[in-house]
Amino acid sequence: MRHTFAAAAVLMLAAVPAWAADPVKIGVIFPLSGNAGSAGNAAKAAVELGAEIVNSPHQGLEALPLGEGKGLANLGGAKIELIVADHQGDPSVGAQQTLRLITQDKVAAMLGAYQSSVTFTATATSERYGIPFVVGDSVAANITGRPGFKSIFRVTPVAGDFATNYMLFLADMKKAGRKVDQIAIVNENTDYGTSVADTTQKAAKEHGFTVAAQIPYSAKSTDVSPQVLQLKEAKPDVVIFISYTADSILYMKTMKDLDYRPAMIIGDDSGFSDPNFIPAVAEIAQGVMNRSAWDVGKPGTVTYAINTLYKAKTGHDLDDTSGRDMQAFFVLADAINRAQSTEPEKIRAALQATSLAPAQLMMGYRGVKFDETGQNTEAATYLIQLQGKAYQAVWPEKSATAALQWPMAGWK
Amino acid sequence: MRWPWLALGALLIAYPWLVSGTDSAAFLQDMGVLVLLAAIGATGWNIVGGYAGQVSVGHALFFGAGAYLPLLLYQHWLLPPLLGVPFGVAVSLALALAVGYPTFRLVGHYFSMATIAVAELVHIVVGNWDFVGAAIGLQGPATPRGWYDLIFLSSVPYYYIFLAVLALLLLATWRMQQGRVGYYLRAIRAGERAARSLGVPVRRYKLYALMLSATFTSLAGSLYALKNGSIDPDYGFGILVSVRMVIIAALGGAGTLVGPLVGAVILIPLETWTNTVFGGSGSGLTYIIYGGIIVLIARFEPGGLVELWHRLVATRAR
Amino acid sequence: MSLNLLQIVVNGLLLGAVYALFSSGLTLIWGMMNVINFAHGEFVMLGMFAAWLTQRYLAGGPLVFTLAAAVVLFLIGVVIYVAIIRDVMRGPMLAQILATFGLALLLRYAVFWAFSPDVRTLPAGALDHTLDLGGILIRLPRLVAGLVAGALALGMHLLLTRTALGSRLLAVAEDRQAAMLMGIRPDRLQALAWGLAAASAGIAGALMATFFPFSPLTGETYALTAFVVVTLGGFGSVPGAMLAGLVIGLIEQVSAYEIGPIYQDVVVYGLFVALLWLRPQGLLGKA
Repeated sequence: MRHTFAAAAVLMLAAVPAWAADPVKIGVIFPLSGNAGSAGNAAKAAVELGAEIVNSPHQGLEALPLGEGKGLANLGGAKIELIVADHQGDPSVGAQQTLRLITQDKVAAMLGAYQSSVTFTATATSERYGIPFVVGDSVAANITGRPGFKSIFRVTPVAGDFATNYMLFLADMKKAGRKVDQIAIVNENTDYGTSVADTTQKAAKEHGFTVAAQIPYSAKSTDVSPQVLQLKEAKPDVVIFISYTADSILYMKTMKDLDYRPAMIIGDDSGFSDPNFIPAVAEIAQGVMNRSAWDVGKPGTVTYAINTLYKAKTGHDLDDTSGRDMQAFFVLADAINRAQSTEPEKIRAALQATSLAPAQLMMGYRGVKFDETGQNTEAATYLIQLQGKAYQAVWPEKSATAALQWPMAGWK
Repeated sequence: MRWPWLALGALLIAYPWLVSGTDSAAFLQDMGVLVLLAAIGATGWNIVGGYAGQVSVGHALFFGAGAYLPLLLYQHWLLPPLLGVPFGVAVSLALALAVGYPTFRLVGHYFSMATIAVAELVHIVVGNWDFVGAAIGLQGPATPRGWYDLIFLSSVPYYYIFLAVLALLLLATWRMQQGRVGYYLRAIRAGERAARSLGVPVRRYKLYALMLSATFTSLAGSLYALKNGSIDPDYGFGILVSVRMVIIAALGGAGTLVGPLVGAVILIPLETWTNTVFGGSGSGLTYIIYGGIIVLIARFEPGGLVELWHRLVATRAR
Repeated sequence: MSLNLLQIVVNGLLLGAVYALFSSGLTLIWGMMNVINFAHGEFVMLGMFAAWLTQRYLAGGPLVFTLAAAVVLFLIGVVIYVAIIRDVMRGPMLAQILATFGLALLLRYAVFWAFSPDVRTLPAGALDHTLDLGGILIRLPRLVAGLVAGALALGMHLLLTRTALGSRLLAVAEDRQAAMLMGIRPDRLQALAWGLAAASAGIAGALMATFFPFSPLTGETYALTAFVVVTLGGFGSVPGAMLAGLVIGLIEQVSAYEIGPIYQDVVVYGLFVALLWLRPQGLLGKA
């Protein structure tokens, strides 16, 4: 009796015509546990939202490539299926999970991976198999440009770009008559903080600023009063922070406790963009600046619509890092569509040929065009400032949505 | 008595071929490599932590030295990382002497704490020392210049190299445990004061054990760096590296010959499986299971799975 | 001494008092039962979360949420002792280390799973003031934490040395068998000790949460600090832990200020290793 039932079921299923094209599988790898778990989960949600937008219609997003929500039009409307893996922040697990996604799940392309050290090993694995890997967020210089590597495409600006941006901004401030001669760099001392601090130092020298102090510290510090007091003594005009969430919050609080307020603070994303930062320190850190290629924008814009969807999905506003990953996803989806195939080599060629204009992007880049090392040469960032309970774009002036407040108000 | 060994050996040798037919072949072969790597590290730890009963939770010191030296040679002088392996062993031995000598005066928890502290100290120093890459660490050659760079597309060559190294280490461990060193170490583990009163040169033999252990662990570190192609302070010298070696050896059975291997065979696939199944949801479930297993082993079967096996076999024989 | 250096010294002492606060429980367990508790940092973290939950859902002030944390952690400590520690203590050293280490992972990630990795802060409520003593700025929550630490250390010390209960605890610590022969029930006392140790860690966590941002993963750092403090103070000595906490806090802050924040850790660990090699019984421990 059971056998007949099963047989009937099988026959019925076989009889259903395959009217939908097979989904296109994309491997997504982020740190979903461990220290960066919070950021990894936010990025994962962003990429998932990207897939939802491509796969089904959402209002107000038609300007984006594939924004009509009808799947990949050139592949018969095939939907995108994400296969997500957790690399736990471990470069070895990153390589292993990438291997699994490629050989076992047979993904057409990869996206990830947040920590530069993991992106480094994961991309080495995908390169071996010729599978394109789109990097949305890792900024270490050595990820692109390895001799013979041609499947890595990085959409985000890199550490050197950010440093240059800060210096250009400070140069603008100087021209406007503000006192900006001495800067201080405070950085957490793992690979993220150290590499960005190094590029910032270099950029500062190139642009003629003096680095009054560079203060590396451990992100797990329980007390940062010595560092703040060192800053008080060095008396820089601007302090650039390269820090994670808990320490960024701790610094803001300690600076208030010790009554130290420089003319301006610039935070290098990360901790300053974490959804927990603003609620924790908004009242005492008014006017701190941050970098972001993401701006929510006014109601009616594509970015506003995306943020509304993201907030409904996760309860938080979209942050810059997750936004960059979502942008990378759209770039990849568009490339697969143009490739009209899931063959790795065709996707790779399509990626290399990518040419997107700012109007087609959700992030504030000048466009997306990859050079021969796979780096997006049109990547850019705004500088934003905490005014009230949200960041506003304040530089460059042509992208500004609010006026810059200088000096920062802090808790006053 | 012979046949379980032969069966195990045959299984290990044939494993890559056995899994080659499936879709997951590459992944399973890679996992085999990771199992062997974990087994090598844990076997190294086992000498001092299992046989001699000195629970070091700072073996990352030797692992890290073994991992850094090969890539250091490449980063600064473009030499094949393989050449750095003996240097790694040399540095580890030096560290073993420098650290072991004063630390072995301590017993029990004091000893364990000291090993943690020394490893952490080196962890911090390495993380801030530009010559060894500071926080960013070191990278090896991106593309192979020849066979000597040991960069293979498939995991299979790594598998057999690692298997050979493991076989060598197990043989060395076996010889040690059969001989006088093993005898003395067992006496030391049973009770240091008693051993000393019986005339066992406790200090000296603990040091020998540490040096042997450091050598093996250093090799594990070198193999890790060669396979991965990069190293950083956290994955070379971090406390989790040390703890993992302890857990794997303890799970299988510390102080037994195949305990570390058994531990690796169980734990690595389990880790991978839980991460694959639960990891995508990002809930940290992998670590909850990991932690739970460790607590269960500690609470119910501290002798590890080998001990459990012996007990079950013994009860059945009755 | 410059004003900044004086501020550093004051901060160091206040920080050290907090270290002493969460280390005094650890030294009690260690001294009594010779068990390293790798999960001690997680007890502090649980205290932080217990306080946060109480403040959020029951709208209590600092007094309420600290008490809540103390009670919850006391219960957790006892349960852990009964379920795991009691049996593991009789086993090999390896098992003890593994048991508490596994416990640490379990607790850390159970909280991670339940509450997400978000970094949280606890509003200080009634304690939200800064005192200005001649240019030295002191946050009231920190001062309170420091005072509570001192009171707790004193209380624990008095408990151990002046009460019948205390002498029974010490008897068990000294010689379990002999204590049993005297009619003392070691099991109950050890469960009590675990409860007290966990409770003190919980109180520390609750107070610290008002000035340190926390997440499920913050416990890791506290554990290592606690070990250093306990070793310096001498295993089993609560006054030792208090003294050592102050010393460590001071050394950390001063070396961070004078040499550099990175070297703060190097100095502390270096001191730790030197201590273990040269004077393992610490400042006030028994040789």
